[in-house]
Amino acid sequence: MKPFDLLQPGSLGEALSLLDVADARPFAGGTALMLMMKAGVLRPQRLVSLRNLRLDAIEANGSLRVGAMTTLRALERSEAVRNGWPVIARALRTLSNVRVRNVATVGGALAHADPHMDLPPLLSALGAQVVVAGKGGERRLPVEDLYAGYLENTLRNELITHVEIPALGKRGAAYLKCTTRSADDWPAVGVAVVLGSEERIFVSAATDRPVRIKDEAAIEALKIEGDLHGSADYKKHLLKVYLRRAIDEARNAVH
Amino acid sequence: MKRATQSTETPQVGRSVPRLESWLKVTGRAEYVHNLRLPGMLYGKIFRSTVAHGRIRRIDVSAAQALPGVFKVVTSKEVREIVPDPYFGPAFHDQPILAIDKVRYVGEPVAVVLASDPHVAEEAVHLISAEYEELPAVYDEVEAMTSKAIVHDVLRPAGTFPDLKHLKDRKNTNLALDFRLRRGDAANAMKKADRVFEHRFSTQQVMHTPLEPLVSVAESTESSLTIHTASQSPSFVRIEIARLLGWPENKVRVRVPFLGGGFGAKLYIKLEALVSVLSLLAKRPVKISLTMEEQFFTITKHASTFRIKSGVSKDGRIVARECEVWWNGGAYADIGPRVTQKSGFTAPGPYDIEHVAVDSYALYTNLPPAGALRGFGIPQLVWAYEGHTDLMARELGLDPIEFRRRNLLREGRPQATGTVMKDAALEKVLERISVLMEWGKPFERGAGTVKKGRGIAIGFKACVSPTTSLAAVNVNADGSCIVYCSTADMGQGSDTAMAQIAGEVLHMAAESITVVHSDTDVTPYDMATLGSRSLFHMGNAVKLAAEDALNKLNVLRKELGLAADCPIPDIFKKKYGMQAGNVAGTGSYIPSYKSPDANGLTDNATPFWMVGASGVEIEVDTETGRVRLTRLVNVADVGTPINPKIVETQLSGAAIMQLGFTLHEKMVFDAQGQLRNASFAEYKIPGMLDLPASMVNEAVVAEQKSGPFGGKGVGETGTFGVSPAIANAIHDAVGVRLTSLPLNPESIWEKLK
Repeated sequence: MKPFDLLQPGSLGEALSLLDVADARPFAGGTALMLMMKAGVLRPQRLVSLRNLRLDAIEANGSLRVGAMTTLRALERSEAVRNGWPVIARALRTLSNVRVRNVATVGGALAHADPHMDLPPLLSALGAQVVVAGKGGERRLPVEDLYAGYLENTLRNELITHVEIPALGKRGAAYLKCTTRSADDWPAVGVAVVLGSEERIFVSAATDRPVRIKDEAAIEALKIEGDLHGSADYKKHLLKVYLRRAIDEARNAVH
Repeated sequence: MKRATQSTETPQVGRSVPRLESWLKVTGRAEYVHNLRLPGMLYGKIFRSTVAHGRIRRIDVSAAQALPGVFKVVTSKEVREIVPDPYFGPAFHDQPILAIDKVRYVGEPVAVVLASDPHVAEEAVHLISAEYEELPAVYDEVEAMTSKAIVHDVLRPAGTFPDLKHLKDRKNTNLALDFRLRRGDAANAMKKADRVFEHRFSTQQVMHTPLEPLVSVAESTESSLTIHTASQSPSFVRIEIARLLGWPENKVRVRVPFLGGGFGAKLYIKLEALVSVLSLLAKRPVKISLTMEEQFFTITKHASTFRIKSGVSKDGRIVARECEVWWNGGAYADIGPRVTQKSGFTAPGPYDIEHVAVDSYALYTNLPPAGALRGFGIPQLVWAYEGHTDLMARELGLDPIEFRRRNLLREGRPQATGTVMKDAALEKVLERISVLMEWGKPFERGAGTVKKGRGIAIGFKACVSPTTSLAAVNVNADGSCIVYCSTADMGQGSDTAMAQIAGEVLHMAAESITVVHSDTDVTPYDMATLGSRSLFHMGNAVKLAAEDALNKLNVLRKELGLAADCPIPDIFKKKYGMQAGNVAGTGSYIPSYKSPDANGLTDNATPFWMVGASGVEIEVDTETGRVRLTRLVNVADVGTPINPKIVETQLSGAAIMQLGFTLHEKMVFDAQGQLRNASFAEYKIPGMLDLPASMVNEAVVAEQKSGPFGGKGVGETGTFGVSPAIANAIHDAVGVRLTSLPLNPESIWEKLK
């Protein structure tokens, strides 16, 4: 690992300006970043810690507003989340392991743009939006619009500050994933379903980013490549099976 | 764990003494080489080959050497200034300390950067470049038999093992051992058999994954060397380093504190020769700590292919068996030829078969080296012969347990080598599995997309022989006791077991006894901590040493006119007039053994047999091929459990490790021999959520009469039956037979389609 500077700004503005140089990376939980640095995939000169930006509040007021630096574990254990969006708490229980959830953050999990992650498809299906801040100010965009491709997000020197999740109400929702090696493996496929007047279905892991589909027939047309999790055919098949199961689970979800 | 009733139950042996070191470990104070820092110490980082087979045209280290903070960059050229013939290995002197002229696998060490700051050393490694003239490579063990790609130009047996001598100077071959066993006339008996079955099984290359990766530190003067290393074989390290340097053994000191797991990865020479040479070159202490990922390029478990053929009589008796096994040893032999022979002779399985033929081949390929991994080849063999057994039972319409019962080796019957089975509780283990699995009761088959199945498998292993252990037991003037032995406690609890054995003899609580860790300047010789040999061999040596000390104390009592029950401190007070002196007992143990003849036959192949069986209940998701274990039962013959709790955790630990090798783990290589999943995001070992909800680990009531207090080894036994039991259960559940590991869901789904 190349030596680097670790800076710990106390305000969002300061963080954004410290990031405004080449070879600088924001540092949230660090669970993905450190692995990439150790592997030599990323060799930043400067890390800007977001820890002191006070972005770790969870506020429920009809909708749910989650600070980007909220740990996955805090989200999982939040009373408001368990009551209002139980599908999120359920999904988090099998997200990696508790050691990772204790440090990984909601903002990091969204910005990383690894299609194998659980929150992007789920929050997309829930109709969540992210609030991002850049030097020019704030903007909002749907979670699914964060993704341009494998490990590629659409942020323009911006930081995610919050994610806002509309009320789920009595709509049925489910997120299912299928791992093909150990239980804590990255999933081969992920499927998120939110029922209601506007049914929202997102698939991930098998695709290079979360993709919204209308129904099972749409799976055939998806661009899926084989990898160590399974062949393209197998993953397509798994998507169909898991879509059916996710819809079933969403219909039967009680909360 | 359900305790077996023991024939030798006494205060120390048979008691679940909590691990002596557990408090140190959980409070972070146990000594590990990883924590060792010496004044002036340099860190080494390794530059590795990017091609699978090639001649080294050029290595450019100039940019690395120029990086500020770099102390020195070392290639084989500098290594040879210290060691002119820098090839090491337990079976063949085939592995160079750093690659010379050729590289033989992707990941082979080619150069090392030394720096005071490990991050600088690592940066500098990125600045080294090498050019290779690529050569044809071979990766598959069966292809390696006939491939034109030859991994080693000339074979160089180390000279230690008589059965490798005929391979000396052999050229144009990848064969590092061709073990052959012939008893009776298998070909003829096969012709006469009523039914003949033939199957082919294979296993994949996997890795040990100890939580503590390989690490070694060397410090030197011109004429002496101290190596602090996470090694399972300190005595071997001393002998081999002394040989390489042309020094006497007493100038090389090897210290081994605790190990964070070993499983066979930390045997023989791994980093020790490299850090020794680097320290002698740099005249500074040198440390190399591998990353978790670098271990993929250091030592692995053999991939294998096994062709097995059996002739069966009308009454369901196996009358003939042919076994042909190819072991993928990778680029350097390591202990592969021993795996080929010592496991090879049990390839026909724990069955009473009159006519047997075994051919077992150790092969060089252009993959990372393979060595011993918790079972020494046995899990690969049991995988095949127990799948084969189940398939035959199915074809014959026999219950799988009944078919095994009919053919099982009984006490007093000769195994394939001709060695008569003794203290091997095969029948008890099989019957206990049957009981615990409630085999006779109806089994619920599941519904909808979830089908249930169950399966069992039984395997055995002959402890590697002949090997030697020595121990010393010191009784101090206050009556306290110290045990000196070179067995490495790598988490298996050997310190506790040795203290229990010494305490049993000396009538002392195991908790009061200190066990001194391997230090070749202090602790006596031991062959190595491997192959479940230590409890038996070192246990016998410690017992003899403790008996020797006790005897000396009794002689003193007599000489001094003291009562037979006179407390130990009073003996020394009387003898020396104050609290002074000590009594040292020594013990040395080597079992009897007879080398196999040209047909692989011997009447004394092993000092003891290990027996392990597993039964599983599983659920298969018929839509996805996913397998979920609901119950895992492991039953073993461990002789008399010295420490029942540790026996239980050894059985469960071994079985869970094998579960990973069965369901998930696989090193995946591309067509150029590059490992595609050299990270733990892509190489998945089992986690808590992969464990079955119900797990039983049990030792049957048994005694190893030649073992210390009836005990014998247990470290590997839990691995034997797991893989074939699961494959047999999948077959039972959904009618799909898989013959290659791992049993991944896609391969089940493919067959279910």
